[in-house]
Amino acid sequence: MLSVEHIRKNFGNVQALRDVSFAVDAGSVFGLLGPNGSGKTTTMRTILNILNPDGGQVTWNGKPIDRAVRRRFGYLPEERGLYGKMAVREQIVYFGRLHGLHEPDALKRANAWIERLEIGDYALRPAAELSKGNQQKVQIACAALHEPELLILDEPFSGLDPVNADILLAVLLDLKTKGATLVLSSHQMWQLEQLCTAFCVINKGETRVSGTLAELRSAWPTRIVRVGPDSPALRGAAERLGATVAGSENGDLDLNVSATSDFAEMLRSFVGADSIVKFEVVEPSLHDIYLRAIGVAA
Amino acid sequence: MNDFITVYSGDLMRRIKSRPFLIGLVLGTVAIVAMFKLPTMLAPTIVNQGTRLVLVADAPLAAQARPLLAKKLTVKGVVPAGTRIDRALLQRFHADSAVSIAELKSGIRVTIFAKNPTSVPSGRIRTALLPLQVQHATHLTSAQIAAALDANIEVRSLSTKFHSVHQAVAAQGLAMTLVVFLYFLVIINSNFVMSAVAEEKTSRIAELLIASVDPMVLLAAKVLVGATLSVLQLLVWVGVGIALGSGGGTASAGAANANPFSLAGLLGNTLSPEVILAFGIFFILGFLQISTVFAGIASLINRTEDLGSISGPMVIPTIAGYFIALLAINAPALPVVTVTSFVPLLSPFVMFARMAVSHVPLWQIGTSIALNVLALWGFVWFAGKLYRVGMMLYGRPPKIAQVWEILRSPS
Repeated sequence: MLSVEHIRKNFGNVQALRDVSFAVDAGSVFGLLGPNGSGKTTTMRTILNILNPDGGQVTWNGKPIDRAVRRRFGYLPEERGLYGKMAVREQIVYFGRLHGLHEPDALKRANAWIERLEIGDYALRPAAELSKGNQQKVQIACAALHEPELLILDEPFSGLDPVNADILLAVLLDLKTKGATLVLSSHQMWQLEQLCTAFCVINKGETRVSGTLAELRSAWPTRIVRVGPDSPALRGAAERLGATVAGSENGDLDLNVSATSDFAEMLRSFVGADSIVKFEVVEPSLHDIYLRAIGVAA
Repeated sequence: MNDFITVYSGDLMRRIKSRPFLIGLVLGTVAIVAMFKLPTMLAPTIVNQGTRLVLVADAPLAAQARPLLAKKLTVKGVVPAGTRIDRALLQRFHADSAVSIAELKSGIRVTIFAKNPTSVPSGRIRTALLPLQVQHATHLTSAQIAAALDANIEVRSLSTKFHSVHQAVAAQGLAMTLVVFLYFLVIINSNFVMSAVAEEKTSRIAELLIASVDPMVLLAAKVLVGATLSVLQLLVWVGVGIALGSGGGTASAGAANANPFSLAGLLGNTLSPEVILAFGIFFILGFLQISTVFAGIASLINRTEDLGSISGPMVIPTIAGYFIALLAINAPALPVVTVTSFVPLLSPFVMFARMAVSHVPLWQIGTSIALNVLALWGFVWFAGKLYRVGMMLYGRPPKIAQVWEILRSPS
């Protein structure tokens, strides 16, 4: 398990991390969310020991992260970088060797990744000649070649077209199936929701919320109840129940109610007030939770 | 250790195949060949420049002057006094100048007419005609004059290092050549190390590397790859030099020795094992110090265009060392030379120059090496601090205060 406990990091007068804490279960996929400049990349670099925290600690399976542990990690940084003049296959093998693989093994694995990522035509070409998307695929192979226990991916989907994004998604799901723990950041909420089992939202260097989607939802104070068709009788019943109107769309009425409401009783009240054809309790989306956590939405 | 070997071997292979290294190797080899071959090829032209002359004098005077001039110059012909002297006359005799001699009561008057007055060997002509001048001024016989002018001058060396003037002069020439070579080898290869660090930072691959390998391992590998390539270059160039120097066998070596411009002759006469060892030690010390500092400061830049401006201040001590070393070749006992031969960054050049041309006490050599090793340790600490943080520092270039903060930080 990865445990990040109250880490702090200053760069001169800038407080990049004030207090970031979260825990990631082994074998899970964890989403790190936050607006630009919130401290996601600094948090990832601190986990990888690229940066030393000014306070707090990071542990992997209860032990501090030293060189030997870090070697079993993989990293895809937000800013992509490859040796432009080095051939793709040679490059992947090199990074495999940096993570402790022997050359024949690294070569065997590199060939498998090249085939899987559909970049076989470029294997012998210098990386600089590849498109941005294909360079990103090479970097993913570099990061994952040694089958890391923990793979940290900073904005892995940025710059990828939908087809390549699907390939990456499949790769990440496969790594998860094989038992790797993944920590990733992305601004594509739908991809994170599809992949991740737990999340942490950080803003201005602080953890705002953290937990599984179910936990985050359970902590959400309100729910949207969608009933239809919209009618004065239905609005009257809602008012009597203390619900506020959040909006009306496609002939349905969205009501903002407390998360602890008795939804069975609410349904009975609406049925008694009018002829309804729809009653739906809408759970907050990750997007809603994110916006609220960073203070953009109430 | 495995990390180091992986990074070192990967970087070495990448750099060996890189265009700058190959171009540098080829150009250096061409320069070595030129240094060996050109002096031999050009020497006759240089030595004989302006020495072909036509003598203009009356017959008795010409008969006296011709053998005297012929000892040091080439007399292409003799024409009587009063002959019109112009370019056509010089062309007719394939001569560079016309030497007109007239007799006076007090001696002789010599007038030289030349196509290129700057190339006239007037000193040699004056020396050659001195007996004639004395003969006409004093009316002594030529035998008496020859005996009077034949002063018995001998120079004996009191130096413990050189036994003859010729040997000392040759050592100075060799030291000059090697100091220039040492300087360029250190500076060029340190710049290669700096460029390699800057390339990894600006291409953003540094983050990926530092996530996998300890930054100090990366830094050490980078500097030692530079050292390896420098030694490799040196071996190729020395190999080419040895091949060229010994190519013609004994006859050629003899000819080379006879030629004052011959590098082969210079090396053969004065390149002692002591000088070779000193060159190797001070090259390694100089290179490691300068390239380590260069690597550290290169980690602070975000654009390769900034390399020149940031390395500029660091080159100044190196240039100072180079010029003091050149001074040391002619005056190895100057206080400034002695003092700077202990100052790191300067001493690799200055102490080497001192050792090449004079006898330096062993304790001074040992102290200089020890101080350089100590300074190297300090430079590694300094560069390591900068590198560890600098490689992850993007955005605006850091200010002095920020660099100071980096150096003061505990990790």
